[in-house]
Amino acid sequence: MLFFSFFKTLIDHEVTVELKNDIQIRGVLKSVDQYLNIKLEDIQVVEELKYPHLSAVKNVFIRGSVVRYVHLPSNAVDVQLLEDATRREAANQGNKAK
Amino acid sequence: MSFFGFETSRHNATGAGFSQAHDPFAGLSNRDDEGEALEFEDTYDGLGDQLDETDDAFNDDTFGGDSGPGAGPVGKDFDFFGQTSKVADAIDEEHVIFSRQQVSKPQQPPAPEYSRGQPSYQAPYGRINEPSRPARTGYEKYSQEPVGELQVDAALWGVAPKKQPAPSPAPAPAAPTRKVLSLEEVEAQMRAQRKPAQPAAPSPAPVQQPTSQAPAAAHSAHGLPIPEHVQTQPGFYNEQPRYNEPQHPHAQGHPVTILQRPQSKPTPPGQSHAQPPAHQRQPSSGPVQPTQILRNSSRLSGDAAKIGVPSHPTPPMHPQHPVHRQQGSFSHHPHMVLHPTQVAQLSEEEKAIYLEQEAKRAKRNHKIFQMSRDNGIMTPQDKNFVTRIQLQQLVTATGNPNDHGTDESFAEDFYYQVHTQIQGGQRQHPSQPLNNFAQTYLFQTGSRQGGLRRHNRGPENHMQRMEQQVQRAVEAAKNKPKNKQLVIEGSLGKISFSNAKTPKPLLNIKRNESTGDANRPGSSHKHSQAVDGRDKKSELKSIEKIYSLLMKMEDHDRVMPPPPANDSDEEGIQRFVPWRDEAEALNKQLWTALRVHDRPAQNGLHPFIALLSYSKGKKALPRIFRHTSQEQRTTILTLIVVNLDNLDVVRNAQAGNIQLNAAMRENVELFSLSVMSTLFNFMNELELDLVAGVLGLVCTRNVDVIAKSRIGASMLTMILSRAEIIKHAGTSEQSWRSWDMAYTQFFNLLEPSLPYIFPGTVTSGEDVYVWQLLAALGIGASPEQQQRLVLAVKDRVMETVSLAKTLPQDLAAQRLQNVNLFMRSIGLDVELLQ
Repeated sequence: MLFFSFFKTLIDHEVTVELKNDIQIRGVLKSVDQYLNIKLEDIQVVEELKYPHLSAVKNVFIRGSVVRYVHLPSNAVDVQLLEDATRREAANQGNKAK
Repeated sequence: MSFFGFETSRHNATGAGFSQAHDPFAGLSNRDDEGEALEFEDTYDGLGDQLDETDDAFNDDTFGGDSGPGAGPVGKDFDFFGQTSKVADAIDEEHVIFSRQQVSKPQQPPAPEYSRGQPSYQAPYGRINEPSRPARTGYEKYSQEPVGELQVDAALWGVAPKKQPAPSPAPAPAAPTRKVLSLEEVEAQMRAQRKPAQPAAPSPAPVQQPTSQAPAAAHSAHGLPIPEHVQTQPGFYNEQPRYNEPQHPHAQGHPVTILQRPQSKPTPPGQSHAQPPAHQRQPSSGPVQPTQILRNSSRLSGDAAKIGVPSHPTPPMHPQHPVHRQQGSFSHHPHMVLHPTQVAQLSEEEKAIYLEQEAKRAKRNHKIFQMSRDNGIMTPQDKNFVTRIQLQQLVTATGNPNDHGTDESFAEDFYYQVHTQIQGGQRQHPSQPLNNFAQTYLFQTGSRQGGLRRHNRGPENHMQRMEQQVQRAVEAAKNKPKNKQLVIEGSLGKISFSNAKTPKPLLNIKRNESTGDANRPGSSHKHSQAVDGRDKKSELKSIEKIYSLLMKMEDHDRVMPPPPANDSDEEGIQRFVPWRDEAEALNKQLWTALRVHDRPAQNGLHPFIALLSYSKGKKALPRIFRHTSQEQRTTILTLIVVNLDNLDVVRNAQAGNIQLNAAMRENVELFSLSVMSTLFNFMNELELDLVAGVLGLVCTRNVDVIAKSRIGASMLTMILSRAEIIKHAGTSEQSWRSWDMAYTQFFNLLEPSLPYIFPGTVTSGEDVYVWQLLAALGIGASPEQQQRLVLAVKDRVMETVSLAKTLPQDLAAQRLQNVNLFMRSIGLDVELLQ
C-alpha cells in the first residue's frame, strides 16, 4: 500500500508517466487506485511528433500494469517521510511474514 | 410457409417466451385470444414470489405479534374494510363503464379496419408472428404487487378484467386469420363494418358517453378495465412504475393509471377537431384518460396502424393535423394517429409532409423498441443482487470503513496520512472516498426507500437484506482467517486467499535452510565488504535499528497523555506515569543503539562516528537530538568533537588537495545541513566553560587536519563565535580565564597551518568559510595574536585584493567583502590596502 499511499499525495501534481511501450505522457495526476491505475488530465505526450494519434487526447486512464516509470515532481516528495514510510512498510511486511 | 413441416398456423403465438421482448407494433390484434386461453403468467399475481420463507421475520406482521399473555396491546388502527371498500366503489364504476362500453363498441367503425389492415403493414418489421402477449419482463410483480394483500377479489389484481374486452365483437373476424388482404377486400369489409354503426351513431357522441363517467372512475379505480392494453406494451411502459411509484405513494394500488399517463397527455387532435363535443373534455385530459385509452386501444393497434393509413378511404379531417402530431413526442400515442380516411383529404403536399413525419415517427418508435427489447431482462432482484456483490467487493477491498483513523490504517497509509497532515490537510477526510461512498450509498438509499415505500414490502425488503448482507460481509471479512493459505484435508494443493491488500503470491519459494548462503553466488562478496576493518552491513543495520527506535519514540510521543495538572490529579498521574516509563525505556534503547559508549573498533574508528559516515546516519542526528536529554546531547557533541579529524568529511576533504569529487561534495553539504546545524543549535545553549572544554578537546586532536577542511573550519568558527557571544553577554571571571587559556593553546596550534587552510587558488573563490574562521579568531585574539594572524594570511589578503581589481564590479565587491570580514574583526579595512 506504500505506493498507493505515496501516489495519493501526488494528486493534482504534474507527473510524467512512461509506459512500457515507451510513450511518455505528462499530465496532472487526478486519481490513482490500489492497482496503481492512473488517471491523468490535460495530458501532453512528450514526443508528440512521434505519436500524433495522441495529440487530440485530453485525458487518459492508464492501467497500472503498463506503467514503466512515473517521473515525480521532486518538490512534492517528502524524502524523509517517504523513508520512514518505507521502513514502516518493511516492518509491516516483516510482521505479516512471521 | 412451414420450413420443417411444422404447422405454423397452430403455433401458439400468444405464449410468452422466456425474457422475450414484446413487439409493441404487433398491436392488439390478438387480444381477443385472451378470452380463450389464459396464460399462467398473466393470471398468476406473483405474490408467492414475495414470500420470505427463509425466516420468521414478518410473522409478527401477519399474526399480530405474540399471542401469549405477555403480548403487548394490539393496535386498533388496522383497516380491512376501508381500503377494500374504496376499491369496491371503483369496481362498481368500472362495471358501469364496461356495460356502456359494450353498447358503444360496435359503433366504432375504425377498429376492425385497423386490425384487419395489420398484416400488410406489419411485414416491414418482420415480426408478424410475434406474440401480442407480454413477454415476461420481470416487472410484473411490481406492477401488481401494490395491491393490498387483504383484497380477495381477483379483479383487483388487474387480471380478471382482461376478460372484459373479449366479448367485443368487432375485431374478432379479422385478427385471428391475419391474412393479407387486397385493397378491395379491405374496403369491402370496411363498408360492411360501417353499416351497422351508422343508424345507431352517425355522430361520435356515444364515444363521449363513458367520458362523463370517467372522472369518478379515474380517481378510484384507474383504468382497471384495460390492463390488457398495458400488458401488451411492456417494452415501453413497464419501466414507468419504477419512477412514478415513489412520487405517488397513494396510487400504488393502481399502477395501471401511471402506466397510462404518458399516453393520455396529448389530446387526440383528430377527434377534438372533428367532434365539437370533444372540447369539453380537453381541459381536463387527466380524468378522461381511461376511456380515451380504452377507445384507442380498441380502435387502433399501435403505431403499426399509422403505416397502413394511406391505403384507407376518407372521412373528413382537419388539415392542421401534422402540427398537432408533432406534440406527440415520447413513446407511443395511438390516439394521435389520424383517422386514415382523413389522410386522403390532405393536399398532396401535406400528405407528403404527413407521410414523411409518419415515417420518421415510425422509425423512431422502432428504434425505441429495438433499444427497449432488453428492458426488464434484469429484474430488480437481479439488480439488487449485483449491487450487493459490488458492495461486498468494495468492503473487502478497502476494509471496514470503521477501521479508519485507527493505528492499522495509519500503518497501511502512513505516508499519505502524515503527508496530508503536514501539507495542512486540504482534505478534511483523509479516509478514502470509496468507503464514504459505500457507507452513504448503503444507508441513504435504505432510508429513502424505506420512508416512501411503506406498502411496498418487496423492494424495502431487498434494501434491508442488502444492508444486512453488507454488514455480514464486513463481519466475515473481519473474521476471515488470517493465514493466507488453507489446506483442506485430503486435497493435493493449497488454497490461498487473496485480496487487494495482500495479493495472491504467484511464486511461493521457500528457501531451503540447508542449501544456505554458501551456494548462493552473491555470498562471496559478503566477506570482502569488511574493508578497512569495518563491517558495513552491521553498521547499516544499527542505523536502521536507530531509525525504527526513533519512529517508535515518535509514535509514542503522539499518544502522550496530557501531563497531570497538579499533584492531586490522580487519574492524570496514573496515565502519565506509564507513558513516561515507556518513553524512558525507549530512550535507553536508543542510547544503547547509538553505541556512544562503545569502545572504538580496532582501526580506531568509534562506532558512532562510523554511523555518521553514512548519509542516513547524518540525517538521523537531528531526530536523535529531539529524543535525547541535554546530557546525552552533550555527550554526542563531545564525541563528535573528539573525533573531528576522524570524520570522513574532514579527513577526506582536505584543502589544497585536488578538487573534491561530487560524492564527497554532497557528503559535506549534507553534513553541514543536518549535523552542523543541529550542533550549532545545541551549542548556542551551552555555557562558556563547556565551550572552553570543547575547544580544549579540539586541541588534543590534529588541529591542522581539522582546520584544512570545510567542516572542521566551520566547527571551529562555531565554537569561537559562540564564545565571543557569551563574552559579550558577560560571564564569570573564572570561566573567562579558562576560555582564554584554551584559546591561546588553540591559536598556537593553529598558527602554522593558517597559510594553508585556504581551499583552491585565489581565483576559485570558495574561501568564504576560511575568512569567517579568521574573523572569529581575530575577534577573540589579543593585539599580539592579531599581528601574528595578519602576518600568516597577509599574502592571501593581498592576492585577493589585487585579484578583485581585475574582476567585474559585483564579483570584486563580494571578494573584498569576504576579506573584510576578517579585516574588520581586527580593526582594519580593505580600503586601507587599496
